Amino acid sequence: MSIQHILSIRRVIRSTNTIALSIALIAGLGGCTKKFESFNTDPTGIQNKDLQVNTLFMPLEQELMYMTDDGYQIAQNLNADIYCGYAMPPQTFGKAVDNANYVFVDGWNQEGYNSVYTNLLGPIKNQLANSGVQTSNPDYWAIALIVEVEGIDRVTDKFGPVPYSKVGTSLVTVPYDSQQSIYQQMFLQLDTAAANLQAYITANPGATPLANYDAIFGGDYTKWLKLANSLRLRLAMHLTKIDPATAKSQGERALSAPGGLLTDPSDDAAVLASQANGNDYNQITDSYGDNSMNASIQSIMVGYNDPRLPVYFLPDTDPGHTTEYTGIRIGCNIPPKPFYSGFSKYNYKTTFNVSAPEMLMTAAEVWFLKAEAALRGWAGAGTVQTDYETGIQVSMLQNGVAGAAAAYIGDAASKPINYVDYTDKDSVNYDTAVSKITIKWDPAATDEVKLERIITQKWLAMFPEGQEAWTEFRRTGYPKLFPVVTNSSGGTIDTKIQVRRLAYPQSEATVNPEGEKGGIQLLGGPDNGGTRLWWDVDKGNF
Amino acid sequence: MKQLLLLLFFVPLLGGATAAPHLAPIRGVVRDETGQPLAAVTVTIKGSQTATRTDANGRFSLEARTGDVLVFSYVGHASREVRISGNDDLSIELAGNNRSLNEVVVTALGIRRSEKSLTYSTQQISGNELTTVKSDNLMNSLNGKIAGVTIAPSASGIGGSAKVILRGNRSTTGNNQPLYVIDGVPMSNQGNNFMQPGSSTYGGNPEGGDGISNLNPEDIESMTVLKGASAAALYGSQAANGVIVINTKKGRAGRTVINVNSSASIDKNAYTPQFQNNYGQTNPTAVDSWGGKITGAHDNLKDFFRTGSNLTNALSLSGGTDAAQTYFSYTNTTAKGVEPTNQLSRNNFNFHETAKFFSNKLTVDGNVNYITQKLENSPAIGFYSNPLTGLYLFPRGKDLLPYKNQFELPPVSGGNGAPTQNWPFQEDVQQNPWWVINRNTNENTRNRILVNVSLKYEVTPWLSLQARGNVDRTNDVGDQKYYAGTLAPLASHTGNGNWNGFDHTLQQQYGDFLAIFNLPVTSDFKVDGVIGSSISDNVTSGITWGPSAQQGYGLFFPNLFTIQNIEVAPAINNGTSGAVASNATTLQPYHSQVQSVFGNANISYKNWAFLTLSGRNDWSSNLAFTADNHYFYPSAGLSFLVNQMVSLPQVISYAKVRGTYSQVGNTVGQYQTNPVNTASGSSTVLNTAAPSSLKPEKTKAYELGADLRFLGDNLSVSFTWYKSNTYNQDISIVPLPASGYATENINAGNIQNKGIEFTVGYNMINHRNFSWNTSINGSKNVNTVIDIDSKDGVNLVDLTPGNGNFDNYVAKGGSYGDLYVQTLQKDASGRLVLISDGSTNYLPVQGGGELNGFSKVGNPNPKFQLGWNNSFTYHNFSLNFLVDGKFGGQVISVMQGMLDYYGVSKVSGQARDQGYVKIRGVDENGKDVSQIDPKNWYRNIGGRNAILGEYVYSATVVRLREVALGYTLPVSGAVKSLRLSLTGRNLVFFHRSAPYDPELTSSTDNKLGGVDVFNLPTARSFGLKLNVTF
Repeated sequence: MSIQHILSIRRVIRSTNTIALSIALIAGLGGCTKKFESFNTDPTGIQNKDLQVNTLFMPLEQELMYMTDDGYQIAQNLNADIYCGYAMPPQTFGKAVDNANYVFVDGWNQEGYNSVYTNLLGPIKNQLANSGVQTSNPDYWAIALIVEVEGIDRVTDKFGPVPYSKVGTSLVTVPYDSQQSIYQQMFLQLDTAAANLQAYITANPGATPLANYDAIFGGDYTKWLKLANSLRLRLAMHLTKIDPATAKSQGERALSAPGGLLTDPSDDAAVLASQANGNDYNQITDSYGDNSMNASIQSIMVGYNDPRLPVYFLPDTDPGHTTEYTGIRIGCNIPPKPFYSGFSKYNYKTTFNVSAPEMLMTAAEVWFLKAEAALRGWAGAGTVQTDYETGIQVSMLQNGVAGAAAAYIGDAASKPINYVDYTDKDSVNYDTAVSKITIKWDPAATDEVKLERIITQKWLAMFPEGQEAWTEFRRTGYPKLFPVVTNSSGGTIDTKIQVRRLAYPQSEATVNPEGEKGGIQLLGGPDNGGTRLWWDVDKGNF
Repeated sequence: MKQLLLLLFFVPLLGGATAAPHLAPIRGVVRDETGQPLAAVTVTIKGSQTATRTDANGRFSLEARTGDVLVFSYVGHASREVRISGNDDLSIELAGNNRSLNEVVVTALGIRRSEKSLTYSTQQISGNELTTVKSDNLMNSLNGKIAGVTIAPSASGIGGSAKVILRGNRSTTGNNQPLYVIDGVPMSNQGNNFMQPGSSTYGGNPEGGDGISNLNPEDIESMTVLKGASAAALYGSQAANGVIVINTKKGRAGRTVINVNSSASIDKNAYTPQFQNNYGQTNPTAVDSWGGKITGAHDNLKDFFRTGSNLTNALSLSGGTDAAQTYFSYTNTTAKGVEPTNQLSRNNFNFHETAKFFSNKLTVDGNVNYITQKLENSPAIGFYSNPLTGLYLFPRGKDLLPYKNQFELPPVSGGNGAPTQNWPFQEDVQQNPWWVINRNTNENTRNRILVNVSLKYEVTPWLSLQARGNVDRTNDVGDQKYYAGTLAPLASHTGNGNWNGFDHTLQQQYGDFLAIFNLPVTSDFKVDGVIGSSISDNVTSGITWGPSAQQGYGLFFPNLFTIQNIEVAPAINNGTSGAVASNATTLQPYHSQVQSVFGNANISYKNWAFLTLSGRNDWSSNLAFTADNHYFYPSAGLSFLVNQMVSLPQVISYAKVRGTYSQVGNTVGQYQTNPVNTASGSSTVLNTAAPSSLKPEKTKAYELGADLRFLGDNLSVSFTWYKSNTYNQDISIVPLPASGYATENINAGNIQNKGIEFTVGYNMINHRNFSWNTSINGSKNVNTVIDIDSKDGVNLVDLTPGNGNFDNYVAKGGSYGDLYVQTLQKDASGRLVLISDGSTNYLPVQGGGELNGFSKVGNPNPKFQLGWNNSFTYHNFSLNFLVDGKFGGQVISVMQGMLDYYGVSKVSGQARDQGYVKIRGVDENGKDVSQIDPKNWYRNIGGRNAILGEYVYSATVVRLREVALGYTLPVSGAVKSLRLSLTGRNLVFFHRSAPYDPELTSSTDNKLGGVDVFNLPTARSFGLKLNVTF
């Protein structure tokens, strides 16, 4: 070994110290991960452990109007609101045919399905139910259950069999429940809700723990109890054809329930509009310019010279027509804007101003439910004529035109008018009035005529809540609505019978194929808009 | 520190200040490209007998006069002549003329290594190649030049981003773009808060350019593209997409060199959509053009588009002594887009100082980049706030000029006192084009500072220690103004206008500590390598402001753009919910940190066999709350220089084979392991993210290749085969709705990219006065989505959710970003199913589609790419041109569907001329139908929600991308060199069948690949460039 070699080895040894130091430095840098959890915690959010349960209710309640995703237009307006004869967009959305011509736009309809699960049922079933609120705050749980029932009803009455009992149990496949089972569950949920509320109200009279967090009643539990009972009556009525016995027993239970029903406009269940987007009708009518009057409601309201007309709608704005209320025929050929832009719109200036609450269920509707219950001979319903006339009075009161009620109730002459479209040179859209029903109660009329009168007035009072209006149209056939001008469903939907349901979102076939398969089996017919739902039986009303 | 920097700045200037005409001692040092001193280099004074040789340290000294020319010559290297200009201490670098022996490549961590020892494929290009034909985003200048790199410029005019993909897309929802590294340190490539367009075609947002576009190409010495994951195991996770290593210019010892570069170019639209001129407005108030015959239609486009321009002036100064070198540059870029009011102005300051201390043992290197950029009225992509919708859809035959001359009308009586828009139509997808560019304005200013400092100390000849630190801080301030009179969905229900903006700062800090060793174990074996640790810390903060929702609220007083004047939502007792909202909200703060240790060893045997091993362990803060917050990934590579192992025929001058395997781990997204509920006013929105247990992502990549040179290096061929699979991707999916969850983060996926790359270069002619070099690069990538998460029933990720008529899917069995669109229904024999329209004609019927109502029509990514570069020199002239082609792939055009629906497109006119559209259809009675009414046809297949199956085009595009003709003027005196070039970009499209340039992308994100929604046309530019060196 040469001297030089030895020297170089010594240098290596001396340098080894430096290397050791370097390695120490390097290792030291790698190990300091104490702050990682604080780096990875979003400081703008609230951890589960810090949750205040009462602050959760507002978004759940608002989801009943699809406010989380700002989705009202596609979840409800472009299907139920059109199909029930209230609304019609003054434009197409880039294609010649869409929902209004019975060509389902899947991307729209799926909002009415998906958002209720992800924004309403999901948080209740996956988070709230796990927080022990059932026992710690049974009153909160009652509100959650009422909201849940109202939410799932809106889904099942659009689509039919849908997942309910097993929601939240799997990320891979969730089975569908039959509509019968869903209705049974809804009644049970209302049982628990009503019992919890009653107990709480008795124990803590006047207490409003949700006062600042309740978008519907400002924390007034007595009104929540009325809503629970009224919802029971509404759901019971849906079953008059398929299961008259359950309809009657649940209906009578509602009519005699402790806590009572919604009776006065001050009881009306309306959801505060979301802060982010304001009133949905205002947004889609004013900002989007997408929401106008349907020919069916024009025919009836104008024909009746209805005092609520200027409350609900604005007059036409086209020159020469500014004193008219003009609706648009569903399924007519719609040229691009501004062709129909002047036609009557929902009254976004006052009734549907940007901060107006959005109506879920009114006392007026309950009076008409009672009227039908009385007509059907259910115990505790009162007399049909009184219920009917009170319904009209309460609706007029709700809309600030109470003074006009008496004359209206006494009007035995006015009838729906024929439909004329002043832009339509070829009169393709013209149609004679489909209904001849008048306003004034006629005790001598047949039950069928009485029912038409009740439902027609209920429909007028319920505006703009198209979901329930569409359900009742399908159940009873009333009010009589103009059919679509062009039916492009390819034969799946009968123009005369009109659309009966929405098709399942196409995404279900990819994300929940097993579940959907079972759903279609339960549906008992093809997955299209012509198949009738479980409660929608093809037979007479009586 | 400040004083030190100042001192460093003045030292070299003083050194260069004196000049002496008399005989004086001249000293200097000669090094090779790797910086190694060269001994025994002959130094001669030209035209005299005086000569000397360099010593073992590469140093020499002799007596010479200012103005004398020294000739340096050394075996295996090109001779170099240097004129003495007063500097008596020269630093000379001799380039090897035999590339096989001395090619040097900058690799990971900024370490220079000889190319022969690399076990993976790289491609290097010089700064000159980026600046010859300039583009306002320097990455666009790379297009067509590097095999395996796909570059898609954003369709958002000047100042726009570029989408750069190396060897295919591999991450489903994460970033697919490469990591940019400047002088060894990772750089942030983030754009501003305008972000990229979302998944919807409505759009309306401008974009403010990406991080890389801020750099001044003139400051770039060279760029090395490390294409595979293997090239980059040492950089960490982000390098899984490949790395683009940028080396900036440094000062050089010796004479002070001043360089002035001026370039001017003009831009024109390379194409515009094709319109019909035979049919006018449907009726006098109609928005569309299905009316009667017209003649003499006015060219409205001509009234709108202008000639764009780009003026860049750059000044650089370089000099120094052996002990300290300085580089300073300033560049000003002023560009105007073809859309009026779209302009960009950018200033780049760069100061780079390198100094040595303690007898050259300590090297201090510092670099400060300061960038200010202002981008105005960046064109919005999509329908909203895009002037091109109103411009293109305007009824044919009507003159648009009155709307240009008066885009604004005086306030109406009883109105809000603000001027109103002059436009006859009320459609949310179109406005007066001049209103849009003047009254839907946007502005973005960016101030960015990049500071790099590195200290390197040579402990022994075989060990150096290096510490580096870097701060990259960017502040973006941007806004969008919607004046009163703007269409309601964009402005507010009050009609008083709308305003939103942001003030946003991102700061990336990086530090590393390296021990670099080079051990001569025996004379045959050598081991070199590095061990080190690094820390990278990213923080984002800032605020955004604007009304609480675009549609609901707006400005209180019209056109007063202050935060105080933004409406807030009413309080709870006023009918809407929640407390009074604020006009301004904080951006979700972001803080993410990665700490790493890594090591790498290169073992070489007899200089012909090379083994590279590396490993890295990362600790990531984004993995907090999971079982394991760190992950390890290794790589190994082997290469052989066959020509040195065995004796090869004379014709082969160089032959290398190489192979490498590597893994790259990656962390998950911030906060995903710890979802929280959202506070919103007085309520809490429960989080709807399903519980997850995320693991780090993993990419496994192989590559094999060979580099060959023939005929004395005149012909070079390089070939690489690669395959990479990315597993365990952090994918956010929408689970089935009835799960009750809105999102779920899962580890899933197996996305594979397999492909080949090659480059062939040939020096066709190499005479003293005439040379011709040609090179071809090509690549083919096959992307396969082998799986998403089929065991849990997840086979699909939708990149563009919420669109009614198309989607970009990542679907099992398909390729990344496959286009799925609505199609027309066909019967078993392929005939279109038609229904009666109620009168005498037919309507087509929309088909069901195979997936969510959509059918697959193709993939927007090119299947094969080819670039052909040529450079000629003749005496003082040079000519370069680049032809490149992207072949295969499909794109869709929503724009064409709109033009057809409105009856303004040329095809809709031709159909009316002939009276029908030819189809192969069948009616309800089974009767064959071969003709359909044009209006029935286009109004049913076209429009905003067009049946896009009818709007699918081949994405193949071949173009003459760059041409540069240069002339070097003979000069003398103070001016050392003067060069003038004429340049052209996108001059000729040899092939293009889509109605737009299919290379353009609506988003440089993963979304909207191959979707045209009124994209601004590609610009064709002509330029003049002057380069003067003093």
